[in-house]
Amino acid sequence: MIFREKIKLASLVHASGVVFFSAFRNLREGFVSGNHPQNLVNPASLRQDYFKQDCPPDLRAPVNILKAIRRRLLANTLLSGWMAWAGWILTGLIVAGALSAKLAVWMVLAVFLAVIGAIAIFAWVWRTRLSIYETARRLDEVAGLQDRISTAIYLGEARNPEGVIQRQRRDAVSRLRKVEPRGLFPVRMPAAAPRALLLVLAVAGLFTYRIDHKAPLVALVQTTARSPLVQSMRSPLAHGIQKDLQRSISQVTLESKGSAGQDSGSDARSSSEDLWSSGDKAGGDPQADQQNSLEVGGMPQDQMQGPSDQTGASSAAFKQDRNSGAPWQDATNENTGRAETSAQPPDAQRAGNTKQSLGQSLMQALKNMFSKSSTRQSDLRNSQLPQPPMQDAPQSGDFQQPGTTENDRKSESRGISDAKDQSSQNAGSGAGSQQGTKMMRRNLETHPVNAVPDRVALQASGYRDQTRVRVDPETGTARLGVQNVPLQGETVVNGAEQENIPARYRLYVQRYFTRVDNRKQ
Amino acid sequence: MTGSVRTEGEKSEQSLGQQSEFLAEKIGEVRREISKAIVGQREVVDGVLIALLAGGHVLLEGAPGLGKTMLVRTLAQAVALKYSRIQFTPDLMPADVIGTSVVQENTEGSKLLGFQPGPIFANLLLADEINRATPKTQSALLEAMQEKQVTVAHTSHQLEEPFFVMATQNPLEMEGTYPLPEAQLDRFLFKLRVPFPGREDLHGILDRTTQGTVAEVRPVVNGPQILEMRSVVRAVPLAPHVQEYVVKLTLATHPEGRENLLASRYIRYGSSPRGAQTLILGGKVRALLDGRFNVSLEDVRALLLPALRHRIILNFEAQADGRATDDLLEEIAGKIG
Repeated sequence: MIFREKIKLASLVHASGVVFFSAFRNLREGFVSGNHPQNLVNPASLRQDYFKQDCPPDLRAPVNILKAIRRRLLANTLLSGWMAWAGWILTGLIVAGALSAKLAVWMVLAVFLAVIGAIAIFAWVWRTRLSIYETARRLDEVAGLQDRISTAIYLGEARNPEGVIQRQRRDAVSRLRKVEPRGLFPVRMPAAAPRALLLVLAVAGLFTYRIDHKAPLVALVQTTARSPLVQSMRSPLAHGIQKDLQRSISQVTLESKGSAGQDSGSDARSSSEDLWSSGDKAGGDPQADQQNSLEVGGMPQDQMQGPSDQTGASSAAFKQDRNSGAPWQDATNENTGRAETSAQPPDAQRAGNTKQSLGQSLMQALKNMFSKSSTRQSDLRNSQLPQPPMQDAPQSGDFQQPGTTENDRKSESRGISDAKDQSSQNAGSGAGSQQGTKMMRRNLETHPVNAVPDRVALQASGYRDQTRVRVDPETGTARLGVQNVPLQGETVVNGAEQENIPARYRLYVQRYFTRVDNRKQ
Repeated sequence: MTGSVRTEGEKSEQSLGQQSEFLAEKIGEVRREISKAIVGQREVVDGVLIALLAGGHVLLEGAPGLGKTMLVRTLAQAVALKYSRIQFTPDLMPADVIGTSVVQENTEGSKLLGFQPGPIFANLLLADEINRATPKTQSALLEAMQEKQVTVAHTSHQLEEPFFVMATQNPLEMEGTYPLPEAQLDRFLFKLRVPFPGREDLHGILDRTTQGTVAEVRPVVNGPQILEMRSVVRAVPLAPHVQEYVVKLTLATHPEGRENLLASRYIRYGSSPRGAQTLILGGKVRALLDGRFNVSLEDVRALLLPALRHRIILNFEAQADGRATDDLLEEIAGKIG
């Protein structure tokens, strides 16, 4: 009957919003934990605000005690939550103090976050606070009351209980009087408190240090960057970056002024040749190099290069690079014609066209480089093909470089025809003497034999290292002492293999027989 | 109308409250009477009394000479119930247990087929060495144990309440025995293991059995009183978290659960819903015997092994690893918390 009343009460209180939210929370918790909600029937005694209801007079004292215990539990949860949040805030302040120059902004932000976090933690803890029933369960567990209090609270809606429920309630109240519940739930300092204290000290020390000093991590990075070790590591990288930067800048400049250069395309081409020739002529003249680079980059050399002590080396390297480009530039000169060289512009005009000519020459160099790399790749591809033996004249042309000599061309055409006619022979031509293959084939035709399948390599069984069989030595050889290998174990292993027991159970069978053997012993 | 129903309910609850006190008192007396003949074995005696009040049956397993049969006989004397004993042998037939139709002559001289009840028609049935009979004969008890009736020649015969079967089996001599089928095992509320007595208990046994005095056990409870106690037991309240714990425990013995790694590795079949019913009903009786009026988690944990150990079937891997059912159950309960 009591349960029937509970169901009625539960259906009445289901209309309230609080119950709806607690039911939603139970549903969500059940969903998260993969279980169904604990109480499909949710009586009022299980709610968080049960003490606000008019609880029975004989249960008021236990409910007041439970309220006090719940306040202590809430305080502990709040303290630990706040302490954890403060730890994060202080850690953030330490990072900001070590990195940032503007401490005031970070201080304001930290205070703001601390306040917002504290409010959010309080709201969350209050929202998810234990109900009186759950608090009673905690008390039962800690005080060893064998679920007396929680059952009494659960059955607390009966106003004038009789029978078993009345006796249960009396029993619970009398047992609760014998324990000191407040002593069982003290307000404790959170475990994160020492860590938070250390963080507070660290923040205070850091901020005191920052009154007269820069951010320590920034200062450390700057000092490290100026150290000789980092400089020595950085110089080759800076050199490479500088070269790439110069090239890209010159190309960009060329494209921007490309439209003007198109009007006098032939002149630009000739000026490019002139530039390289002048560069060649200039040879090791550093002043001319520096001037050229200034003109190409459109900015001072000091800005493109790093430290001043590297300028000489980098410009020399750049010079060497340009010198190395001279051969392919010469090849370009052969193709582009010689008439333009006769119409030499004056020096001023030559200097004005230097930027365009440099860009064009770089493009041409890239084209040449790609064509060379493609040629190199085709060479490499050919070299990877199997080379025929020298004495095999008829089919040896199949794999030679095509078109080099007349004989080669003939052999190539013959090889192609052979490939069409005798594909099987060509398939074996790279492996050995084709003539020998033909002979063998002829022999096979004259002396036919039954086809015998080739030997096929069997796959490894995987049981190679599972079996250890003791083999008795031959007469006259020494017998090796084998320790800790019971005879039964060997028999079992061999027997397991013979009986085709699945591998996953073989160990169990072996263990079983070993155990039996040990028992017998 | 509602008020009158409520008043009747309150009255019945008041009487239930008095009966609960009566139950605790009477069970104490039964314990004392049993302890006159049985030395020690407190857990086994409590298990038998819990099963008697919860309305279930008990399977006692133990080595010969540990007092299993003695315990059942003493209990029968203490509770003043109609007692019957069947010695299970390989040639025992179902008709020898439940009875059969025989030709009977009435007072007028005409002959009729009449039902001759077997030894199963008793309140307290001792099925001694039940695993020595064939599964056919063992299965003759199935209907009787669950539905408290037997059917012979299309006629059902009700058994008298309370009907309480106590079966014994010897775990040592497995030769010539037939393990009980799972359906039969599931019908036993508890499977109690009778341990070997300790030093002091052994001294007590020797003192009592080797001297001239014979313990006289007097009946303190009768059948109707036991039925009343059974109704009181069902009125003991249960908190929802205790019921949730029982459900979790039962589900955790099934290998199908995603989180039950232990069960999925070692258990082939988990506990049936009868296992959960046993835990709650047994917990209620245990609470009353302990002087409480509510079931606690401690009660459930205490009854975990006797209630579930015979309802779980281990797989090959568990047998190969030498895992015992009791250990597995304790591990599962430990994981649930």
